Amino acid sequence: MINTEGMVAETAAKIYTDLCGREVPHEAAAGQYPQALWDALAENGLPLAWVSEDNGGFGADYDEVFGAIWVSAEAASPVPFAETLIANWLLDRAGVAIPDGASTFALLDGNAASVPFAGTADHVAVYDASKNAIALYKTADASAADGQALSPDSDTRLDFSTATPVASAATNLSRRAVEALILTVRAVQMASAIEAALNLSIAYVSDREQFGRPLSKFQAIQHQLAVAASESAAATMAATQAASALARSADDPEKAWHEAVVAKVQIGHSVEAVTVPFHQVHGAMGYTQEYDLHHYTRRLWAWRDTLGNEHHWSKTLGAELAVTSPDQIWKGVTTGAWIAS
Amino acid sequence: MQRFNFPVIQPDPALEELRAELQAFLREEREAGNFRPEPECWMASSDPEFSKKMGKRGWIGLTWSSQYGGHDKTALERYIVTEETLRAGAPVGAHWIADRQHAPMLIEHGTEEQKRDILPRIAAGECYFAIGLSEPGAGSDLANVKTKAEKVEGGWKINGQKIWSSGAHISHYMVAILRTSPADGRNRHVGLSQIMIDLSLPGVTIKPITDLSGDAHFNEVYFEDVIVPDDCLLGEEGGGWKQVTGELAMERSGPERFLSSYITLETALHQLQGKLGSDSQARLGKLIANLRTLRGMSWGIANLLHQGVSPETEAALVKDLGNRLENDLTLQVRALLNDLPEDEWSDEMRRILNIGILRSPPNTLRGGTTEVMRGITARQLGLR
Repeated sequence: MINTEGMVAETAAKIYTDLCGREVPHEAAAGQYPQALWDALAENGLPLAWVSEDNGGFGADYDEVFGAIWVSAEAASPVPFAETLIANWLLDRAGVAIPDGASTFALLDGNAASVPFAGTADHVAVYDASKNAIALYKTADASAADGQALSPDSDTRLDFSTATPVASAATNLSRRAVEALILTVRAVQMASAIEAALNLSIAYVSDREQFGRPLSKFQAIQHQLAVAASESAAATMAATQAASALARSADDPEKAWHEAVVAKVQIGHSVEAVTVPFHQVHGAMGYTQEYDLHHYTRRLWAWRDTLGNEHHWSKTLGAELAVTSPDQIWKGVTTGAWIAS
Repeated sequence: MQRFNFPVIQPDPALEELRAELQAFLREEREAGNFRPEPECWMASSDPEFSKKMGKRGWIGLTWSSQYGGHDKTALERYIVTEETLRAGAPVGAHWIADRQHAPMLIEHGTEEQKRDILPRIAAGECYFAIGLSEPGAGSDLANVKTKAEKVEGGWKINGQKIWSSGAHISHYMVAILRTSPADGRNRHVGLSQIMIDLSLPGVTIKPITDLSGDAHFNEVYFEDVIVPDDCLLGEEGGGWKQVTGELAMERSGPERFLSSYITLETALHQLQGKLGSDSQARLGKLIANLRTLRGMSWGIANLLHQGVSPETEAALVKDLGNRLENDLTLQVRALLNDLPEDEWSDEMRRILNIGILRSPPNTLRGGTTEVMRGITARQLGLR
C-alpha cells in the first residue's frame, strides 16, 4: 500500500477533496483551468516537498510525497502536480533556483523531448544525460510539434534547439537515478488511476440494469472485474515496492532503478488488461467525454508510454537479466536486490 | 482508502541466512544425485528419505512449539523454506500437506494426546497427511460432499469416497470433510465436520489415479464402515465448512501457487545465459517483473498472517494471478528455448519442460478453481 499518512499526503488529500470534485477534470478539459486548486497546492508549499530546505523547500520523505501523488491521480488532477514535483526535484539536485508556478520535466534525446503538460506548465526542467546537465527553460520558448494527444495532459514533443535556457547547471545525477524517480512517480499514478477506474466500474455495474437485473449480477461481468481487481492489486504492489526502494535509497536513487523498472513493466502490461474490461462493462457510456472513466483510461494509455513503452522496458530489463546468473535473478525476485553485492 | 492490503516487507538478514543454509543443502543433495528436480514437486514428488533429512535439519514443523517436536520459529521462516525447496524442485511432497495445514489444525483442534503422538512425527518428516476434501460429485462445490460419518458408540462410522487425495497412498492420516448431519435445504454449509482418519484402519481402500505425466500421486480413497474414535472429530461438529474456508485462505497465498514451475525457468536460464535474442529478452523481462510483483504480494500476505490477520480476498487474488503466472511461465520458457537449437538442449531441460507441460492443468484447479477464486473476489467487491 502507498503510504497516504503524514502531513504532505494528508494536506494534499484535503486540497484535492475540497477543490477537485468530479466536475473539475471535465471543466479543465473544456478549457477552464482550476487555478484555485493549483494555488492551494502552491500556498501549502506542496510542489516543493522534495526540494531541500536550503533551496526553499521542506525536504520531505519520498514516502509521504508518494501518498500525495496517489491522491492527486485518484482525483484525475488536471494540474501538473506530480510533474512539478519531479521538475523541482531535478532542479534542486542540480542546485538551480526553483521557479514559481507549475513546471514539467523532460529527458532530452538529441534536440527534442516528450513533455507532459507542455501546454500548461510555465517551465520545463530538462535533463540531458549526454551533458550531465539540467537546464530550465520557459515552456513557451520551445517549439511544439502538433499531434493527436492521448490525454489532455499527455506528452507533446518539444524542440529545444532554438531555445535559450533560463538557467542551467551540471549534475552528478545519473540517467538511471532520474529514470528511477520518474518511473516510480508514474507507477504510483498509474496504480492509483487503475484503482479509481475499478471503483467507477464497480459502481456503474451495480447501478446499471440490463435484461431485468443489475449488470453486477451477471457472472461474466463479475469475472471480468475480478480479473481487473487482481491486476489492480498487483499494480499497487509493484508501485509500492518501487516507492519503498526509492525511499530506502534516498541518497543514491540509482539503486532503486530495478524496482522502478519492474513496476513500469508490470503496470505497463496491465494497462491493456484493465482498460479493456473497464470500457467493456461501461458499454457506450464509457466512450463519452461526459462520463469520468476516460480521465483515467486516457491517462493510463499516455502514462504507459513515459520514457518508452512497456515493450521497451521489458527488453531493457530482460537484456540485463539475460546475462545475469540464475542465482542473482532469484535473489532479485525474492529480495529486490538485483545487483550482486 | 486503498482497496487492498498488501504491505511491502523488506528482507530480514536472519531470514536470508536461513535461505543460504537451505540453498547449500539443496545444492549438495542435488549434486549427490539424491533427487532430480521436478516441477510441481510439492504435489507430485515424494521421497520419505528426503523428508526425514528435512526433518533432521529442523525444516519441518518450524512454527510449532518444541514441546511437540517443533522449532518455535515463525511463519516467515517457514515461508523461506517452502520458497527455496520449490525453487529447487525438491521432493518435498511427502510431508508438505501435513506441515502446511494438518499440523496447525491439530494444534488448534487436537487432543493433547494427539498432539504429543503425531506432531513430533510430522516434524521428523516421518508422518504424512492427505487432504480429504474433493469427492466425485463435489469438486470445487465442497458443500456437496456426500461421504457420511455416523455417530456410533464411542466414535464415528464412515462410509463413502474421497478423490484427488494427493499422497494418500503414502500417508498415515487423512483429514476429511464429512457430512455428520443432513444438509438443511436452504443452507448446504451446515452439517459438515472435519474428521481425522487413520488410513491403516480396516475398511479403508486406496486406489491410485495416474495423471497425464504418468505419475500416480492422486488417489481415490474408499471408506467402508470405517470406525474412528470420538476424539478424531477436529473442531466443532457441524463447523467443518467454516474451518475449511479459513484453512483454504491460508493455503491459497503460499509460494506454491506461483513457484511450482519455477524450476523450468531456472533450468532454461542455465542453458540460455548470454544466448537470448531481443524478443526473448523482452519476454524474460516481463516474466521476471510479474514474478517479483507476485512474490511481493505473497510475502505481504505471509506477513499479515504472521500478525494474525487472515486476508481472504488478497489470498484469492494471489492464487488467481499466481496460477496464471505459473502456467504462463512454462509457455514463456518454451518460447525462450527457440533461441537454442534443439540439439543443444540438455536431457534434463527436455525432461523438466515436458513434465511441466503435462502437470500444468491442475494449477488452476487445486485449492479452488480460478472461477471460484473470481467468485470470492467478486463477492468482496460487492458484486454478489
